[in-house]
Amino acid sequence: MDFWFSYITLAEIYVLLGLSTNLLVGIVGIFSVSQAAVFGVGAYIVAHFLLAPEPMSFLPALGIAAAGCVVLNVLVTLPSLRISGDYFVVTSFGIQLLATAVFTNWTAGTGGANGLPGIPPPDLFNHKLESTGQLTLLCTAGAGLGCLAFFLIMRAPFGRLLRAIREDESAVAAAGKNVLRAKVSAAALAGAFAGVAGGLYATFLSFIDPSSFDLDASILLLTMVVVGGARTLAGSIIGPFLLLALPQILTLLDIPTTIAAAMRQLLYGMLLILFMMFRPQGLAGERL
Amino acid sequence: MLWLQLLVNGLETGCALGVVAISFSLIYATTKIFHVAHAGIYTLGGYLAWWLVTHGAPSVVALLGAVAACTAGGALIQSQLYARLERRRATHLVILIASLGTLAVMQNIIASVFTPNILQFPIPWAANVVALGGEVRLTWAQLLTIAVSLAAYAGVMWFAHYTILGKRIRAVASNPFLAQITRLQPQSVYVIVVAIGSAIVALPGVLVPLDLGLQPYGGITPLLTATIAMIAGGVGSITGAFVLSIVIAELQNLSLLVMPGEWSIGITFFIFVIFMLFRPTGLFAAR
Repeated sequence: MDFWFSYITLAEIYVLLGLSTNLLVGIVGIFSVSQAAVFGVGAYIVAHFLLAPEPMSFLPALGIAAAGCVVLNVLVTLPSLRISGDYFVVTSFGIQLLATAVFTNWTAGTGGANGLPGIPPPDLFNHKLESTGQLTLLCTAGAGLGCLAFFLIMRAPFGRLLRAIREDESAVAAAGKNVLRAKVSAAALAGAFAGVAGGLYATFLSFIDPSSFDLDASILLLTMVVVGGARTLAGSIIGPFLLLALPQILTLLDIPTTIAAAMRQLLYGMLLILFMMFRPQGLAGERL
Repeated sequence: MLWLQLLVNGLETGCALGVVAISFSLIYATTKIFHVAHAGIYTLGGYLAWWLVTHGAPSVVALLGAVAACTAGGALIQSQLYARLERRRATHLVILIASLGTLAVMQNIIASVFTPNILQFPIPWAANVVALGGEVRLTWAQLLTIAVSLAAYAGVMWFAHYTILGKRIRAVASNPFLAQITRLQPQSVYVIVVAIGSAIVALPGVLVPLDLGLQPYGGITPLLTATIAMIAGGVGSITGAFVLSIVIAELQNLSLLVMPGEWSIGITFFIFVIFMLFRPTGLFAAR
């Protein structure tokens, strides 16, 4: 039973990340491989405040993490998006590699390659959530709120503006809309989603290390959105649930453990290529 | 004297990086595809050469074999993946994601076959040290890298400006539509350009690991640094990409005087942000 709970909880955390990636890649059409870095920053911020000598309670820490990720994403996207989409490819690779370098080498703040163990479970209104079931409920609530927010934003004028930008940027600019501001706002929103997901992830696993937030993790997030389907809410939910189940199937095959991680990433790469070639809209998405 | 040694090391890494930058610049300026999988080609070249050397091939044969295989690999990616996607009117984003997928596939095939650990070339002479006067010393591998890189830069400059094919490539790069109606056949030019770029990138792909060893995921950082050099130098300018690569590598090496090497990616990225804020078109931008 616990296995199912943790699968569902983890998948729900990745749904939030999927929404974040989908917002950038699917809706606005900005290529990004730094979502895992932002996710990691959120996780480390929450871990930092919960492990402090005088621990903060969970919700304010989560709020600070989300705000931190929003600021980070705005600072990162503002200079490069001003120029061209391809420059943002460089930015996002750069941020991802830089974040991995910081997570691994800034031992005082992040515990370095050993990571941060013993992160306390979250608490809500002075009540500690310790069992897996309670954590699942918390993450369900988080993912549910995220999905609701995504749904409402997409129906709002702002959502229509974002989709219009993807279709034809110059037409939107000619209609008097501020394209850069809309793109940066979308990035900020994506940062908030990733930050919250990071906080939930840190408290759920109670241990974080740089390997969860590296380039491979970003590629996994992109694969989730691509396989599930870009630009739709359903796609961001299907993708994570499907792709988190895949490694379980791989364990049934007899693969030496030394190359298991490489085989998994190989599979994600193949999925990216095949979906782009034959079904760019994913399982339940719209045309990329 | 430490700084002098660092300057010389910077020149060496900068030259190697410069070759990566010109090969990427050639592809990017012509096809307009941000060819992320180029990092995979770079890594592939090194591993193939290593495999050939460990199976008893002479070093020169290994280098040429790697160049040939990378050429074929690049041509295959362009003709079987990018061209197909292009024909289906795939957006830029779709091609980028497919390119990233190709990179992941290449890196992880290499990691599965050769293990993810660092491999060293079994070529003893490469590590022999040459004293260049004073305390400054370089290995034969490093000297060879400098010589081959400068030759590659000169070769590309000559090729782009004085051969028919080079002129055809520049014509397609500057206006694909006009090239199409004057029967310069952009699609086949794209295949040729990616093949040439992949052949060139195999040179540093083999020579740099002679000194530093091979890693399956080691291609991304050089490619990222090279793209930053390309942007800072001005997209489309071969000299700009090469010169800026050397400048960035020098700054990275000199930064070792004040901070540990793990943070050099930070230096690179800082340079990129400065350029984006103050001179996004690059230093050597063509008008």
